[in-house]
Amino acid sequence: MNRISLKESLFLGFCAVFILLSRAALRLHLGISGHVMFSMMFFLLIARGCVPRFFAATITGLFAGVAAMALGMGKGGPLLLIKFVLPALVVDICAMTLPFMFQSYLLCAFVAATAASTKFIDTYVMDRLVSMNPDIILQHAFLEAAPAVFFGVAGSLFVPPVIRRLKSYGVI
Amino acid sequence: MALSFLAFGSRTTTGLLWLTVINLALLLVFRYGFIFLRREIKVFLWQTAIIVSLYMLRFGWIDGFKQGAMISWQLSLAYMPGVIFIKTTPQPRIVETFSAVAPYRAAFVMATCFKFIPLILTEIRNIYEGQVFRGAKILRRDLLNPCNWPDLVFCLALPVIIRSMNLAGEITLAAKARNFGFKKKRTCWPGI
Repeated sequence: MNRISLKESLFLGFCAVFILLSRAALRLHLGISGHVMFSMMFFLLIARGCVPRFFAATITGLFAGVAAMALGMGKGGPLLLIKFVLPALVVDICAMTLPFMFQSYLLCAFVAATAASTKFIDTYVMDRLVSMNPDIILQHAFLEAAPAVFFGVAGSLFVPPVIRRLKSYGVI
Repeated sequence: MALSFLAFGSRTTTGLLWLTVINLALLLVFRYGFIFLRREIKVFLWQTAIIVSLYMLRFGWIDGFKQGAMISWQLSLAYMPGVIFIKTTPQPRIVETFSAVAPYRAAFVMATCFKFIPLILTEIRNIYEGQVFRGAKILRRDLLNPCNWPDLVFCLALPVIIRSMNLAGEITLAAKARNFGFKKKRTCWPGI
């Protein structure tokens, strides 16, 4: 059966809530750009690892985006949705092409780096729209994306052991 | 949305000044205080510092400062209407709009997750306190050291994930006991 069950959808919803809770908690204490990618990548990968259905991570990202809008978190208004959905979509596509990625640290790190680098696209598009100098757009987007990739990879490295433990406990 | 697009298209100082006045007027109309403005100014200053320094490296001190500050101002004005929209639109209205376009199950999941946030927070707090008593290095001062981050994941995140899975199972059972999903069209208990 390919349809996501109610229990799985609720779990994905809870993962979205965890992303927002950790985002709110980290925002209060750290002032480093891109650090929210740590929890975001961790929970997006966990969502996809626990619910092995296509679009599981995207649904989590979509829920988190709508909830972030509803709770008034982050900057960018309706653009917040793109910030959440784009990395989630990358996670889903990668999980589909690399089904064994949740057992490998290297693959998880690679997927997280790819997904977190979508911050480059967000920044590039926004800067392009305000007609920033092309050279500076690239530098600025890189400065925004680099910490995001670093924290995203750090968060993803905890995914394989957590998935392994969840499997050994018989939860998934 | 229109204000954001105007900010993207605006190239003159006069245009940006007008947009700033409109945004500030909106903030005054919706009575958003100094705390909100202070947080936005903080984000604006951080962004300005990065962009201006990049422009100064590329175009020299004076030209770089002028162009960088202008772009940063424009970028902040592009973000500002979105932030005002989110802060001023009531939460139920956004969820209602989402529910109107989303399938009934997605709307149910969304509403349930919002409703269970306090319970999840209580669970997290209970697990956190329990793990601290067991000696897990997850106190705020411990987390300043990245070596203790695995403790946070294995002693807090893992039990919370397992608990949320159980909670999802319990909610599903309760919903199914009330015939949730029996009819494709959304229904609700009379009088609610």
